[in-house]
Amino acid sequence: MRAVWRTARAAVRRRLLQTTVIALVTLTSTAALVVALGLVDAASAPFDKAFAQQRGPHVVASFDRAAASDAALARAARQPGVEAVAGPYPEASVALPQDAMTFGLGRQITVVGRADPDADVDRLDVWAGRWATRPGEVVLNRDRDWAPDDLGKTLTIPSGPRLTVVGFAYGLSGTADAWVTPGQADALAPRASQLLLRLTDGTSSEDRLRAGLATVTEELPADALTAARTYLGLKERVSGSARAYTPYLMAFGVLGISVSVLIIGNVVSGAVISGFRHIGVLKSIGFTPGQVVAVYLTMISVPSVLGCALGAAAGNLLARPFFDFVFSGPDAGILHGSVSIAPWVNAVALLGMPAVCVLAALAPALRAHRMSAARAISAGSAPRAGRALAVQRRLAGSPLPRPVSLGMGLPFARPGRSALTLAAVVLGAATVTFATGLATTMDRFGNAGRGAYDLTVYVGAHEDGREIRPEHGDRALHELLAGLPGAREVTARADVEVGMAGSAQEVMLEGRRGDRPRLDDMLTDGRWHRAPGEIVAGSAFLRQNGLRVGDTVRLERGGRSERVRVVGEVMQTNSRMIVGDWRTLRALAPDEDPIAYHVLLRPGADADAYARAARAADRGLSPALTGPNSVTQTVVGSAAALTTLLALVAALGVFHTVVLNTRDRRRDLGMLKSIGMTPAQVTVMKVTSMAVLGALGSLLGVPLGVAGHRMVVPRMADAVDITLPSYMTDVWQAPALAGLALAGIVIAVLGALVPARRAGRLTAAEVLRNE
Amino acid sequence: MSAPPVRRSVLGMTAQDSGAVVQLDGVRKEYGETTALDGVSLRIGAGEAVAVMGPSGCGKSTLLNMIAGLDRPTAGSVVVQGENVGELSEKQLALYRRRRIGMIFQFFNLIDDLSALDNVALAAQLTGTPARQARRRALELFEELGIADRRNAYPALLSGGERQRVAVARALMNRPALLLADEPTGALDSRSGEQVMDLLIDLNQIGQTLILVTHDEHLARRCAGRIVEFADGRVTGEHTLEPSA
Repeated sequence: MRAVWRTARAAVRRRLLQTTVIALVTLTSTAALVVALGLVDAASAPFDKAFAQQRGPHVVASFDRAAASDAALARAARQPGVEAVAGPYPEASVALPQDAMTFGLGRQITVVGRADPDADVDRLDVWAGRWATRPGEVVLNRDRDWAPDDLGKTLTIPSGPRLTVVGFAYGLSGTADAWVTPGQADALAPRASQLLLRLTDGTSSEDRLRAGLATVTEELPADALTAARTYLGLKERVSGSARAYTPYLMAFGVLGISVSVLIIGNVVSGAVISGFRHIGVLKSIGFTPGQVVAVYLTMISVPSVLGCALGAAAGNLLARPFFDFVFSGPDAGILHGSVSIAPWVNAVALLGMPAVCVLAALAPALRAHRMSAARAISAGSAPRAGRALAVQRRLAGSPLPRPVSLGMGLPFARPGRSALTLAAVVLGAATVTFATGLATTMDRFGNAGRGAYDLTVYVGAHEDGREIRPEHGDRALHELLAGLPGAREVTARADVEVGMAGSAQEVMLEGRRGDRPRLDDMLTDGRWHRAPGEIVAGSAFLRQNGLRVGDTVRLERGGRSERVRVVGEVMQTNSRMIVGDWRTLRALAPDEDPIAYHVLLRPGADADAYARAARAADRGLSPALTGPNSVTQTVVGSAAALTTLLALVAALGVFHTVVLNTRDRRRDLGMLKSIGMTPAQVTVMKVTSMAVLGALGSLLGVPLGVAGHRMVVPRMADAVDITLPSYMTDVWQAPALAGLALAGIVIAVLGALVPARRAGRLTAAEVLRNE
Repeated sequence: MSAPPVRRSVLGMTAQDSGAVVQLDGVRKEYGETTALDGVSLRIGAGEAVAVMGPSGCGKSTLLNMIAGLDRPTAGSVVVQGENVGELSEKQLALYRRRRIGMIFQFFNLIDDLSALDNVALAAQLTGTPARQARRRALELFEELGIADRRNAYPALLSGGERQRVAVARALMNRPALLLADEPTGALDSRSGEQVMDLLIDLNQIGQTLILVTHDEHLARRCAGRIVEFADGRVTGEHTLEPSA
């Protein structure tokens, strides 16, 4: 055993470059694998994981306190089918005064009395401050993205106490806007009791969840239940954004895993095959076949285990900011605190990758195990004659410069190694193509309608916890903003909730008035609204309500009613929103004023200066500059990071192939130099050998990437219920494809350049003397 | 079966070429602590056949590598046809080897996946000679060396003697001023060795300058007109041989 260890150690020292390459390849491959598997896992069910972690309620039910006592509710919750229960908690609906600070909660808030954030159901995460333990204290429901700088401020309840904010807690299920002690809740005149239920059949449909609730309430008075919602609606809303990423993350995940495993297989098996001569020598001096296999497995295992361990650590480090980046935004953002690398991913990386290495080494090592010493020596010295001879003969007679034609023939000398390298380049080129297409689509998506306005001036401002209303009226504000220096277009916007005949869900009607009623919306079908009684709507709204362009619907609000016709479909992810003419909105809500004005500036005008001027003109205005599109940034940024990582892994594979090929052909290189091949010609020959694989890789990889884009993008759009206009999906024009055709070649050439130049500098005398 | 004598047309030099082709002055070569050449001075004239003899590890092959421009001296100068080899850049050395040097190795060093003809044509193709023209010249050499019928065979299918003839053809491909042979019969059976010796004698007789490194005295005496004896990196003796009848 000592002989095996000493020989393996000596071999590792002698092949320092190869050992380093194996360690580097396993490191980058494992890091890519951890990120890829982590993404696949995180994207598969982010809501379910966060929901399970908090033991979220399947049903949130409110009961009339006058109709059902707490004792009756507690009894009801013991019905079969209920897995766990929290409550009953006193629940008060509180309207905050107009001039009070709302902490972003809105004017109408739900306050629940809870003694403890921990419960069998709805475990709250108190992430700042502490839980309310005394009357006069309140904990607000906020996610971790908020700054905790409101601690200690007060929440004013009309005709009630002033509550001091002592903590921030986060509950994914949104069972309350604020929590106080049960005693304090009683002082707020609660009219309802809240019961949070986890049902044994919690993963089923809305109907079954409702049936479960019916079982709970069957012995209660008929009118005791005042409101109930299941978690499925919340899941649908929260998962929407994350679901949009899933097909793209899955595609990258699969590519990452494939490239990693292929490259490791290639590098490790190639290292053993190139050691056949050494194996023959070991056998000839008395090593048993088993000892020879042990020497090689030890040689490969040391750098690969080290690489895998470091790679797993690097993958975890890379994944954290990456997940934060991916799971961001108004909906999916609430998940990012609970999304992390699953333990099984690290287990697979730490055990699976070394196993792949050992298996990749084992196959050729066992081949060497069976070989006689003489055969191993001859097998290791050069490829067998007869391989690829026809190709070499044709190339030798071609008019190409000889170093180029020699290089083109080299991949055929080791077809197995070349095939594995080619496969890695194919996947690398496919990744680059896919990512480029996705980035182009996302860029067009993110920039759709950009330039429609530079600022949004909101009506109302906050100062010292008090809301300041504008001094000017609507029309005066419109004129004021249009008259400020730099203004080119001003468009007013108001939102109002209206009912829609035949639908239980409220609809948000947005009315626009001014220079650009389309604002930043993209029309995908039909035309824009031109007159009162015409609306445009997003794909999600139309699909959910079974409507098409041309259909008519009736909108209702406060006893008023309007028939409107859908004249166009726009790219809009909000499934509740429709957009119409200002007069349409006023017909339903005559007193509604704009909530914001969108301002487009003249070219060269300073947006900051305009914002300052607007604020100075009326303290009741809050101007906000249009920022970059975060979704686009997320996808483009993450795609660029993943592509770089995978292209690097593929290039490392090529690097190692050239290192091995150079070692296999040292004698040939020495001879070629002795007959006058210049270092540059050697470099050209070596780079050409890989550029051939690169060109073939592009030929196969680019269509694969295009197919991936065509498969993934529509699924991403479907996930968020939008229809993309064709100019966003048809991103493959001839110049783009020609540029991408270079992807495989660039990967191959970058990987080959360093070892090729090294081969060019080999001293012929040394090589020939060694031979 | 012995091959017919080689014609002069295979060579690039004329019979009138004369003067020193190789001039070594105080050449030293050190590899770390080891001194391979220790102040070697040597002059070889045009058309001469010189055998460098000595025991293994005495520095014979290092001397040949210095002259071939495969390695650089630590000190001293190696001048071949007026060109100081030690002062050339890597690229210039490669061009120098193409134009002036032909090398024959003990183990032939043919490329396994090129046919015999393509192995030989390769030397010319590297200089930019079109494939058709290079193959034509290679075929001429094959005919001169008596192996034309083996031109399409691959090295693995050639006998040792045939392989060395192919190697000689490759060395002559660019009509070198100097033919360097490192133990050219060392890997051959006696019959093949004799054939290669005859070939080298023929080449020298038609004017090819030849430097032969060997520890085979029979080969040295048959092929060379002068023997340089080497030991421990130094020239220890030198004597001229009578031309054989």
